[in-house]
Amino acid sequence: MSVGAAFAGVKVLEFGGGAAGPIAVRHLADHGATVIRVESRERPDFLRLLAQSARNRDLDAAPFFTMLNCNKLSVALNLNDPRGIALAHRLVDWCDVLAENFAPRAMRKWGLDWESLSARRPDLVMVSTCLMGQTGPRRDYPGFGGQGSAISGFNFLTGWPDREAVGQHGTITDSLAPRFSAAAVVAALLRRRRTGQGCHLDVAQTETAAYALSGWMLEWTGDGVVVGRDGNRSRFASPHGAFPCRGEDRWCTIACHDDEDWRRLVDEMGSPAWAADENFSTLAGRKASEDELEARIAQWTRGFDRDELFRRLQAAGLDAGVVETCADLHEDPQLRHRGHFVPLRHAVIGEHPVERLGYELSDTPAAIELPGPRLGEHGDRVWREILGLPDDEIETLAREGVLR
Amino acid sequence: MQGLLDGVRVLDLSDERGILCGRILSDLGADVVRVEPPGGSPVRRRGAHLGGSPDPERSVEWLAYAAGSRGITLDPTRPRGREILDRLCERADLLVETLDPSALAAARLDWPTLSARHPRLVVCSITPFGRSGPFAGLRGSDLTVTAMGGNMALTGDEDRAPLRCTMPSSHWHGAAEAATGSLVALFARETTGRGQHVDVSLQACVVGTIMTGASQWWLDRRDRPRSGALYVVGATRQREVWPCRDGFVSYGLRGGPARVPGLVAIAGWMAESGVEAPAWRRDWKAYNHVDLSQDEVDELAEPLQRFFAARTMRELFDGAVARGIMLAPVNDSREISASEQLAARDFFADVADPGRGISVRIPARFARATDADMDVRGPAPRIGEHNAQVYGEIGVGADELAALAREGVA
Repeated sequence: MSVGAAFAGVKVLEFGGGAAGPIAVRHLADHGATVIRVESRERPDFLRLLAQSARNRDLDAAPFFTMLNCNKLSVALNLNDPRGIALAHRLVDWCDVLAENFAPRAMRKWGLDWESLSARRPDLVMVSTCLMGQTGPRRDYPGFGGQGSAISGFNFLTGWPDREAVGQHGTITDSLAPRFSAAAVVAALLRRRRTGQGCHLDVAQTETAAYALSGWMLEWTGDGVVVGRDGNRSRFASPHGAFPCRGEDRWCTIACHDDEDWRRLVDEMGSPAWAADENFSTLAGRKASEDELEARIAQWTRGFDRDELFRRLQAAGLDAGVVETCADLHEDPQLRHRGHFVPLRHAVIGEHPVERLGYELSDTPAAIELPGPRLGEHGDRVWREILGLPDDEIETLAREGVLR
Repeated sequence: MQGLLDGVRVLDLSDERGILCGRILSDLGADVVRVEPPGGSPVRRRGAHLGGSPDPERSVEWLAYAAGSRGITLDPTRPRGREILDRLCERADLLVETLDPSALAAARLDWPTLSARHPRLVVCSITPFGRSGPFAGLRGSDLTVTAMGGNMALTGDEDRAPLRCTMPSSHWHGAAEAATGSLVALFARETTGRGQHVDVSLQACVVGTIMTGASQWWLDRRDRPRSGALYVVGATRQREVWPCRDGFVSYGLRGGPARVPGLVAIAGWMAESGVEAPAWRRDWKAYNHVDLSQDEVDELAEPLQRFFAARTMRELFDGAVARGIMLAPVNDSREISASEQLAARDFFADVADPGRGISVRIPARFARATDADMDVRGPAPRIGEHNAQVYGEIGVGADELAALAREGVA
C-alpha cells in the first residue's frame, strides 16, 4: 500500500478461495492495491482447513493459506443472511476490481454476477476464474488443481513412458492460470483508465493451460501426432536429462542442444573412448543409443559433487543445472540475490517466509508487508473506516451472526 | 470489437522462452511486431515442424505462438540496424527480449542504454535466472530452470530420476508472468510517465509452481520425497492418479472436509453399481485426509481402484460431473481437441493462413471478455512478411529497405 506503487489507490474485492484466484490478486496486492477478501466462518476457504487435524481446529494456522494471501485484508461475512449480501454489495460499490473463483452459480445466487452488477457499475473490472469457465455444459464442474492439470493435458505430458501420467508437482493450473488472469485484469485496468469502461473477464483455468500447450495441440490438429510423456528426454536435444551425483538422491541436469554442446561435454568428460564412437557425434545417433548414452554419462557424473559439476559444466559453456530441493532453494545464491523469500511474522504461525512473484520492477518494486490475514482480522477497519458503519450497527450485525 | 490493449505497441525480440508472451499481448489487442534476425528467428529451426521437414515456415512453435503478430527482419547488432531499432522504440510501449548476455551487449539492448534513449519504454527481459546476480548469464533451458526452481526434485518416482514435463512448461510460466509484469509496468507509467525494467526469472517462476512448498519447508525443515502418482500427506502416501480401463483419472482423497461430499457421492455410486463400497466406516463428517493412517488410506483405495479399473475415462468423468465428484480424465491432445466443453466455448479457431496455403487449428484465446475482443488475430508472420509495412511506418521506403536487405541488416 506504499505511495508510488503501480496500483496505489486501486481497490480490489476478492471472493472465493483455493490458490488460483488468490494468487492472481497477489499481482495487484504486491504492487500497492488495497485488497479485501470476503470470507466466511461457516464455509471457510478450504486452504484454511488444510492444517487442521483432530487436535487442531484453528482456521488461522494454515501456512498454505497464509503464505498465498499476504498483503490482503480479511472480513468475515455471512452471505446466507440478506444483510450480509447487502454489505457485500456495498463493498462492490467501493471496489475497482471484483475477483472471484467460485463455480458460476454462487455469485448469481447473491446477485453478485456481472449481469446484475454491470448496469450500476459499468466501470467495474470483474474477473471470474473457475476451473471450466462461465459457460458450457461442464461449467459447474467443481475441481481442484489436480483435476485441472489432468483435464488440460499436463498430467499426460509428465511421467515415464512406462508408468503413470503423474503430472508436475504442485497442480499446474493453480500456478499457471493466475499468471494469465492477472494479465487480463491489468489489461482491463489499463483500458478502464483510458476510457472508464469496465468488463467481465471469464478465465477458465483449464483453458489457460490448454492454451499454453498450443504447440502440442497443433501437432495433433495439424499432423495427427499425439506427443506423449518421455521422462526427461527431448526430441530435439540429447543427452537431455537428470544424472546422479555423489551422495544420496543428489542430481545434476545436462542438456546438449547441438553437436557443439556434445563436443564440449566430451571434452569435460576427458574424451573417453566410448564417446569417440561416430554414432554419438550427431543428434540422430545419440537419440538412437540414448539408453547407453545416459548410462555412460551417469557413470561419469556419479563421481562428482553436484554443485561442483554444475559450476564446471556452466564454465565450459554448457546448459547444466542442479536438482534443488526445497532446502536448497533457501541457500540458492541467485534467489537470495533477488530477495525471493521475504520474512514475515504471523500472529499464529510465527515467523515464516513468503515468495515474491517471478518478475522484478526496477522503478515501482513490489512490496510484501502484511502477513496473510486471520479470518475476519480487518472487520473493524473495513466496516468502520471503509464503509463508515456506525458502532451500534456493527455490534448488532456481529451479535446476530452476520459478521462471521 | 476492439481489444483491451488497443493502441499498445510491442517489439518482441524473444525466442522460445518469450514466444507465448507476444501471443498473449496480441490476443489482448496489442500490435506485436516480432523482430527476427535476417533469415528468421532461431525458434523456426528448433523444435517440431508440421509435415516433418525442417521448413522454417512450418515450425510448430512459430505457427502456434507467433500467431496474430506482424513480423520483420532486422539485425540490431549492426549499427544501421540498431539505429532503425531505436526509431521503432520511439513509437513502441514495450520491448520484450530473451537475449543471451553477449547478444545483449552486441546490440546495446541493455536496460540502462534503452532507458536513457527511450525513457517511456518498458523493457521486459525473460532470462533463466534474471538479469543480475551470481547466476545471471548462465545457460538455462527448461530442464535446467525446472531443476533449479525446485519442481523436479518433487516430480516423478522415488526409484528413478527427478522429472520435468515433456513440454517446456517453465517457458509458459515465464511468458505469462512476463505479460503480467509488463502490463503492471505500463499501468505504473500512466502515473509516473516513465518506463521501467521488468526482470523475469524463469527460476523464480518455477519456485511458484510448487505452491509455497519452499516456504512451508522453512517451517518444518523436512524435504518431501518424490511420490509419483501418490501424494505425500504426513506419513502416508495417498493415490492421486489411478489407472482406469483406457487411461488414467485424477482423483484425490486429500482436500480435507471439502472432499467429504465427493466421497459420500462416490461411495453411493459404487454401491449403485454393485461394487463393494469402501469397507472403511467412520463418521464422514469428521473425515479429514490428514488424520488417516496408511492402513486406512489403503482400505479406502482398494475398492476405488477396482471401480476405476472397470470403467473408461469418459464413463468416469460423466458420472463424476453428474454427481459433483472431483474426478477428472487424464486427457491427451486428441481428447482435449474433442472436448464438448471447449467446443461449446469455441475454444479452438481455424486460422486461415493464405500466405502458406494452410489453415491451422489452435486455441483461439486464453480468456474472454465482455465488450472486448480477445481472439487470435491472424496467422504467424512469414519471414520478413511485414518489412515493407513496418519499415514504412518509420519512413524507410522501398529502395532503402532493399538496400538494407542487400547489406544483411533487414
